[in-house]
Amino acid sequence: MASSANKNINAKLVLLGDVGAGKSSLVLRFVKGQFVEFQESTIGAAFFSQTVAVNDATVKFEIWDTAGQERYHSLAPMYYRGAAAAIIVYDITNQASFDRAKKWVQELQAQGNPNMVMALAGNKADMLDGRAVAPEDAQTYAQENGLFFLETSAKTAANVNEIFYEIAKRLPRLQQTPNPSGMVLVDRPTERANSASCCS
Amino acid sequence: MYGGSGVQGKRDMAMEYEAQIPVLRPSIHSRRANMMVKFQDLYEFTVEGNVDDVNVLNEVREKVRHQGKVWWALEADKGANWYLESFVPSTLLKSSLKFSTLVNAITLKKLIRKGIPPNLRPKVWFSLSGAAKKKSTVPDSYYNDLISAVEHKVTPATKQIDHDLPRTFPGHPWLDTPEGHASLRRVLVGYSFRDSDVGYCQGLNYVAALLLVVMKTEEEAFWMLAVLLENVLVSDCYTTNLSGCHVEQRVFKDLLTKKCPRIAAHLGALEFDVSLVCTEWFLCLFSKSLPSETTLRVWDVLFYEGAKVLFSVALAIFKMNEEELLVTHHVGDVINVIQRSTHYLFDPDELLTVAFEKIGFMITTNISKQRKKQEPAVMAALDQRIRRLNSLNDDEKS
Repeated sequence: MASSANKNINAKLVLLGDVGAGKSSLVLRFVKGQFVEFQESTIGAAFFSQTVAVNDATVKFEIWDTAGQERYHSLAPMYYRGAAAAIIVYDITNQASFDRAKKWVQELQAQGNPNMVMALAGNKADMLDGRAVAPEDAQTYAQENGLFFLETSAKTAANVNEIFYEIAKRLPRLQQTPNPSGMVLVDRPTERANSASCCS
Repeated sequence: MYGGSGVQGKRDMAMEYEAQIPVLRPSIHSRRANMMVKFQDLYEFTVEGNVDDVNVLNEVREKVRHQGKVWWALEADKGANWYLESFVPSTLLKSSLKFSTLVNAITLKKLIRKGIPPNLRPKVWFSLSGAAKKKSTVPDSYYNDLISAVEHKVTPATKQIDHDLPRTFPGHPWLDTPEGHASLRRVLVGYSFRDSDVGYCQGLNYVAALLLVVMKTEEEAFWMLAVLLENVLVSDCYTTNLSGCHVEQRVFKDLLTKKCPRIAAHLGALEFDVSLVCTEWFLCLFSKSLPSETTLRVWDVLFYEGAKVLFSVALAIFKMNEEELLVTHHVGDVINVIQRSTHYLFDPDELLTVAFEKIGFMITTNISKQRKKQEPAVMAALDQRIRRLNSLNDDEKS
């Protein structure tokens, strides 16, 4: 790993979490830098890609944004199979979504890739008035289960790029790179690719 | 002509689109290569495309107008409801039919594959799909009674529906209005009580919304949804663990291996599971993936020939992109090829010609056999997953 040449890594990443927790909004914020109040409901899963540069390496995330409704969970294995990373999303104003997040963690621990990098995202962090899940609880849970935890807001963009960047840094194949400094987003999708997930 | 219910208004405009929406001529400025423009399609969905796409859509409008003339000429020749008499139920012995009926049936099948004109769609769909028959078996007031009986009820299904209303084709000039949301809500909530096994499944919001846009009356859209879920599609596509959908996916994978072996082998080597892209197609019946008129041309055939059409169309999408797919190296590239292709498929004939002429016959009884064959495996896999998850929960408790 002494070579300073660019390393290009493809990493499959899956987002899991309760319906309405804001999975698609997080992805939209990360991939396109946008936020819309009413994001089209996801059926099955939606696919996006985005590249992050970490020091001398670039990580191309292949992101699977899955549908949240309970009955869609039977499809989930198809999306997390072979994933290098997962973001489990809950809504900080909804305790039930936190409970659901824990179940996803359990399922991934039992079925997923043992080296999978897992992040817990407490989304909608801008809605402090409605908070139902204390950050300390989530932090404790994350620590006990080997996840890293961040509260995010797809609306204000808080911690959104950070969570993806943190994942990129923790990917096993990047582990030996020295202290990363700063993040650059490259490879913005073209106009045409941007509209690829529009409705018909 | 199709009036009656209280959900008219703005949608009447869509009916007269031929007269009202001028043929779009891209301005000089947008002629530069790859310049993207936004425009409205035949059903008022805003789409984005380049100048070529605009031209294709204009040609499609022209073809639709031509098909309209063909249909009207046939009505004038054979009588207003000629296609009802041409409908040959599969239970009937073909030998017992009059020759003229058979001729009409063949004409009708061909004609439907070429497309039902948008202004005739509500009437033709309603009769040929079996929705009219379904409606006639219950009292006239069924829909209104159902809707008023469930109006104020709150269930997990209604909560999910309310959550999804503004997230269903946001930006459509009728669907994304309070009136449109209310109409879609009544259809979905009504159906969730009609069949509590289905209740509400995400995906149905897109299907019901497009049915509303086509049928123009809420009650007819409701019956179309009912006939679709109860008669046209395989059962359990949308129930608890989507088992019907899992079965369809497995049948589709076998068909792909058989009909497009090179693609199947290449995707297999990339460890690309075709369900990654197909699941949405089968659950939303392409409404979220293809442009509206292309989707509706698929539905024209779906309502007449049955659910096997979904396989033909899905295979055609892969087949059309064969050369490009064979040079992909990553899962992401495969998805991009497929999504770019479906998103800009403004010419329905481009797709349907491949689906019906290049893929080869799809026989319903064979498909049914394949489904029967796959069912036990799907059930076993789903059961196994549930048992595994339950045992995790038990571990936690102990």
